[in-house]
Amino acid sequence: MTLQDCYTALGGDYADVSARLRSDRLVRKFVLKFLEDKSCDLLRTSMAEKNYEEAFRAAHTIKGVCQNLSFTRLGESSSRLSDALRHGWTPEADGLAQQVEADYLVTAEAIRAYQEAEE
Amino acid sequence: MRNRIAHFLTASLITVSIFCVIVFAALGLYLNKKNSATINQVGTIYMASMNERISKHFETMTDLRLAQIRTLAETIPAAKRNDAAALKTWLTESAQARGFDSLSYYYEDGSMEVLYGGGGQFLDSEPFAASLKEGEDKVYVGRNPAGDLVVLMGVPFRMELPNGRICAALVGELPVSYISDTLSLEDEDSLVYSFVIRKDGSFVIRSFDAFRNSYFERVLAIYEELDGKEPEDYLAEIKAAIASGEDYSTIFRMYGDRRHLYCSSLPNSEWYLVTVMPYGVLNEAVEDMGVQSLAAAMCCCAAILLVLLAVFLKYFRMNREQMTELEEARREAEEASRSKSEFLSNMSHDIRTPMNAIVGMTAIASANINDSQQVQNCLKKITLSSKHLLGLINDVLDMSKIESGKMTLNTELISLREIMDSIVSIVQPQVKAKNQRFNVFIYDISSENVRGDSVRLNQIMLNLLSNAIKFTPEGGSIELALHEEKSPKGDDRVRIRIRVKDTGIGMSEEFRKHIFESFTREDSKRVHKIEGTGLGMAITKYIVDAMGGEITVASQQGKGTEFQVVLDLERAEEREEDMILPDWTMLVVDDDQQLCESTVASLKSIGIRAEWTLDGESAVKMVTQHHKIHNDYHVILLDWKLPGMDGVKTARELRRQLGDDVPILLMSAYDWSEIEEEARDAGISGFLAKPLFRSTLFYGLLPYTGGEEETEREKKPAADLSGRRLLVAEDNELNWEISRELLGSMGLELEWAENGQICLDMFQQSPSGYYDAILMDIRMPVMNGYEAADAIRALDRPDAGLPIVAMTADAFSEDIQRCLEHGMNAHVAKPVDIKELAAVLERYL
Repeated sequence: MTLQDCYTALGGDYADVSARLRSDRLVRKFVLKFLEDKSCDLLRTSMAEKNYEEAFRAAHTIKGVCQNLSFTRLGESSSRLSDALRHGWTPEADGLAQQVEADYLVTAEAIRAYQEAEE
Repeated sequence: MRNRIAHFLTASLITVSIFCVIVFAALGLYLNKKNSATINQVGTIYMASMNERISKHFETMTDLRLAQIRTLAETIPAAKRNDAAALKTWLTESAQARGFDSLSYYYEDGSMEVLYGGGGQFLDSEPFAASLKEGEDKVYVGRNPAGDLVVLMGVPFRMELPNGRICAALVGELPVSYISDTLSLEDEDSLVYSFVIRKDGSFVIRSFDAFRNSYFERVLAIYEELDGKEPEDYLAEIKAAIASGEDYSTIFRMYGDRRHLYCSSLPNSEWYLVTVMPYGVLNEAVEDMGVQSLAAAMCCCAAILLVLLAVFLKYFRMNREQMTELEEARREAEEASRSKSEFLSNMSHDIRTPMNAIVGMTAIASANINDSQQVQNCLKKITLSSKHLLGLINDVLDMSKIESGKMTLNTELISLREIMDSIVSIVQPQVKAKNQRFNVFIYDISSENVRGDSVRLNQIMLNLLSNAIKFTPEGGSIELALHEEKSPKGDDRVRIRIRVKDTGIGMSEEFRKHIFESFTREDSKRVHKIEGTGLGMAITKYIVDAMGGEITVASQQGKGTEFQVVLDLERAEEREEDMILPDWTMLVVDDDQQLCESTVASLKSIGIRAEWTLDGESAVKMVTQHHKIHNDYHVILLDWKLPGMDGVKTARELRRQLGDDVPILLMSAYDWSEIEEEARDAGISGFLAKPLFRSTLFYGLLPYTGGEEETEREKKPAADLSGRRLLVAEDNELNWEISRELLGSMGLELEWAENGQICLDMFQQSPSGYYDAILMDIRMPVMNGYEAADAIRALDRPDAGLPIVAMTADAFSEDIQRCLEHGMNAHVAKPVDIKELAAVLERYL
């Protein structure tokens, strides 16, 4: 499984990220590093605690990371969520948070698959 | 409304006028009355003193006469007392000598014996008898045998006469005329005239025109009613005054003339003196004065009324003007609201059209969910419609921003080349879709970089161009030209002239006048099929105005339209980059002479000599000539669209002549991807995108100078930044690592702050000048980017003004604006693009 396959699996834009980061080494490093990122946990707990301010920041951070890594699918759902939470809770926020959760799982799954294939 | 006000004004004017007249008339009358009261008072005083004088005079005269008679009685010689005849003679002689008309004895029984003369009899002997008892000397009225009134003067004197009878008094007689003459009661020249009457009203002295026997009859006969007083009233008053012996004064009217009456009792008698003064002359003077004062009052009144009228008229006129203005404003407001509602209905039509497409296409797509071809087709159409809808909404938002005065202009560095390049790339697909000819020209660009609002400048050009494309039928041509010239606003500015010309349907003269107003679109069948909000030109005009520029339009129906925008923008200091190329000779081939000349001038400024020609045929000739004398051009620039032989054909011909050595570049404002293959086949070495700025030429030609120089230049910007130290505030570790990796590759040293507070602390603890710039994420825990920037800017350090660049995943213009408001210098959107960030940093470091 190549990086490109991994990007296809997680719904990202490989061409974009490799143009920006310029080397597969860096892309690989950061993609693997994504698994360690705690933003999604933060989002999950803050949503559960109804701390929507913190949840907004978490969604926003996920969006930023995804933009940096060109994870298009997760980036889009987190972007929509951050828009929905920008001024506090809105009715669509819960649904969008589930979507982000789902997209995150797909993304993390794809990266793990890539990691295993490499090993 | 206007009529009501006019009516009100007229009515109040009339009311005020009438009121004025009444007040002034009353004032005049009052003064008159006061005057005549004063005159009366003066008259009374005058008459009183007059009466007193006459009374005194009368008293003196009667005293004298009475004394004469008394002396006469007392000085009767004793010798004659007993001789009746002698006594009579002596008395008669003595009395005659003193001027008495007659003298009589008055006996105790009331009979009288006449000594000489006619001998008047008392008209009423009772008062005499009464005063006789009191021993008083008095004068009385009597009647002589001739029937004339006479004055009788009785002096009580008791004496036994020789005949044995007792004489009680001596009575002397004087004619009435004696008294009236002495008192000068009938002086013709005198203002006043007087009567003497008895208590019963009968005349003693009748002067003037009195002919009746009693003054009371005269009162009743000739007094006229005055101030509600009837002659009877006067009479009663006079009688009462006489009875109580008081003085009496009044005003009355006689023969239509006001007169003053004064009555007082006369001493030494039972008589009354009645004095009358006709006001005649006095009255005239007084009345004259009255008339004059009334006239004066009326004049004042008229003057005040005139002023009042003037004020009213002025006010009325002002009111009228105001009403007209109001009317005008109302009309304008109605017009505006009408055009807004028209706009709304147009808008809803315009919005409904793409909405319908979206709804319909969605339905079709759902119905054919398994036919991916169909779904794709539908999605494509939905995308197009959505984009169109978004455009509409953006326009409306822009316009509402403009109308509420919220649109502001930024000042930032603008590269005209970048703007033109981006516009050309945006416009190209549209032009291609409509199969239109598109050309871009730039002339005399002396300053490629200017300062201004690049987004709005872009908007101006895009609005003009998209209109041109919209209203130009297929096969038409569109031209965009950019000139620079000296600005009249000073040397630090440059005048930019943007011209957008098309061969479209043009517009009517009528519409041309309204083109820059909001919500207007030419209302004719020709444009109904073309969608749009009618806001584009109003927005454009507003932006141009806000930039202090000018926009003009010339158009002819059926021929085309030409817009010109003139802006005076600040020159940006040119980066001191010596753009110098080798000493080449070049050939420029383009059918536009001005463009050729401008390009040749630009080439000269980067060190290249160039020649130009207008068509492919002559280009071939010139190249052949140069080739023959072994002095080939180093590079040849060919326009793609040339009259006659086009660029590609010319290139083929040139290659045939020259071989492969000389680079031939094709310049075009079009997307050349379609003809690239054909062009390369024909021997074209490369492409240059129009417009040809100095930098476009420089960087376009640079690759043909030999490889080394190029790589050196590529590296150069990165080298500029090496060794600089940046503080990166970023809460996410992954993002931080990516930034470090990317920026580190440029030679930058980076330090990480996990949130705004840490960033602030690190900056505070660092020595001054340690960090060259800060990259600031906005959404951070503990302290966000805005607060951190505020805090840093508020620090009292020499380097508190260091460049702070915001990095955020939000690219809303409001967010960018907010960053700038919080003192940050610039904003870059995530994901961080290394080139963009480098450019921004380079600008501030």
